[in-house]
Amino acid sequence: MSDPTSGMTSAASALKYWERRQEVVSNNLANVSTDGFKAERVFARLVDDALTVPDMATDMRGGSIKPTNSPLDLALDGPGFFVLDSPNGERLTRGGSFHLDETNRIVDAHGNALLAENGAVTVTKGTIEIDKGGSVKVDGHEIAKLRLEAPPAPGLSLQHEGSNMYVPGTARQPLGADARIVRQGALEASNVDSIGAMVDMISVQRAYASVMKTVTTMDEVRRLITNDIGKPV
Amino acid sequence: MDPALRTAATGMAAQQLRTEVISNNLANVNTTAFKRSRAQFEDLLYQTVQGATVLGTRDSKTTPVIQIGRGTHLAGVQRLHTQGTVESTGRSTDVAIEGEGFFQVQLANNQVGYTRDGNFQVSDSSTLITNGGYTISPGIKIPTDASDVSISKTGVVSVRKASSADIQEIGRIELARFANPAGLESMGENLYTETPASGEAIHGFPQEEGMGRLLQGSLEGSNVEIVQEMVDMITSMRAYEINSKSIKNSEDMMQVANNMSR
Repeated sequence: MSDPTSGMTSAASALKYWERRQEVVSNNLANVSTDGFKAERVFARLVDDALTVPDMATDMRGGSIKPTNSPLDLALDGPGFFVLDSPNGERLTRGGSFHLDETNRIVDAHGNALLAENGAVTVTKGTIEIDKGGSVKVDGHEIAKLRLEAPPAPGLSLQHEGSNMYVPGTARQPLGADARIVRQGALEASNVDSIGAMVDMISVQRAYASVMKTVTTMDEVRRLITNDIGKPV
Repeated sequence: MDPALRTAATGMAAQQLRTEVISNNLANVNTTAFKRSRAQFEDLLYQTVQGATVLGTRDSKTTPVIQIGRGTHLAGVQRLHTQGTVESTGRSTDVAIEGEGFFQVQLANNQVGYTRDGNFQVSDSSTLITNGGYTISPGIKIPTDASDVSISKTGVVSVRKASSADIQEIGRIELARFANPAGLESMGENLYTETPASGEAIHGFPQEEGMGRLLQGSLEGSNVEIVQEMVDMITSMRAYEINSKSIKNSEDMMQVANNMSR
């Protein structure tokens, strides 16, 4: 123990780590009913051989697909993302409830247009059919082919933006034809495992309390050193 | 720890809203042509809480960037336009639509309303009106001396006049359908109006251009399934509970921290 405070510093970083973990579990649980939500996982990294620092990854496993029979509810029953045109640039999404806007484009709940290979999809009226591969047909005539993008390479994770959107990474690739499974009239449920989160929460609390115990023990040792050693006999 | 409390609170609020929507569905389990709704949520903004900080004296490792979500909020309430069960009533002016389409009614301000509630009446001026008193469009006039009103699957309305034995055709019911029926605006009284979100109305006769067929002497029931709503209510209740546990857990951790120095 070269640095007298290092034990305390390590404990403090561990406490912060468990607090962050609790925040993430809370967010996962708050989103158990959010369509298309992907749970976050937190794990620890050791920095400087002494400090516990949280790192995160998104659990990209698919949620269950629930039928709604609404023609503009879209879900992906496999990997990949739809592409949206947001005011901050292109964004990725796993699907959701789309509708038509004033200019007859297919848009999401915030008015961001769903992008096809030739830009936004415009439908004035007619029966909209979207097949497995993502081609949009109106009254039987193909009018557009939806852009679908592949998930990031293993080890890389996408940045969240809220509203069920992700910021695309630097390496972007279209989703291969055989990996495309677009489901029309269905929504993807949240993939949060509430039982697992509950168990996680208990272990977070216990771990937090035991780290706290090491802090009080270290403090007690120091109290003994400062008060008892050197006391005149 | 404070953000964790707030995050869990948004989760509780969301489940409460979901229960309100379920309650409304259950209250309308016997409403003619009622379409159930579903609350939809989305995640709130994410906050970048660390990253790019140079740490330590021995090396200059940077901490990984992590983003922590701050909960959930309501994105919208979506109406699910699935077919309700067709129930036989035996009344000659009860009409159910089996398949796609809406009856069109004339609203007060020259607007057109759309409904699937075919519980029609004959008004004082002998026109076919809905239960709420709105004239169906295009109007169908039923002669006062008519008996035996019959409405075919394709919407043709014919009557037998008291004086003659012949059946006379007096009009045809027209339907409208939409590219995205979930985008229709609900006005109450089982009526909907067109919005940009639904797309323009497509007009046509029953059993033509993708429209459903008409069934006389029947009404379309509500598409609410009690069992489904009950299951949703239980899951919503549990999710509410688990979010409250998450508040409790954060609070316990705060207490542990507070007890550190005595």
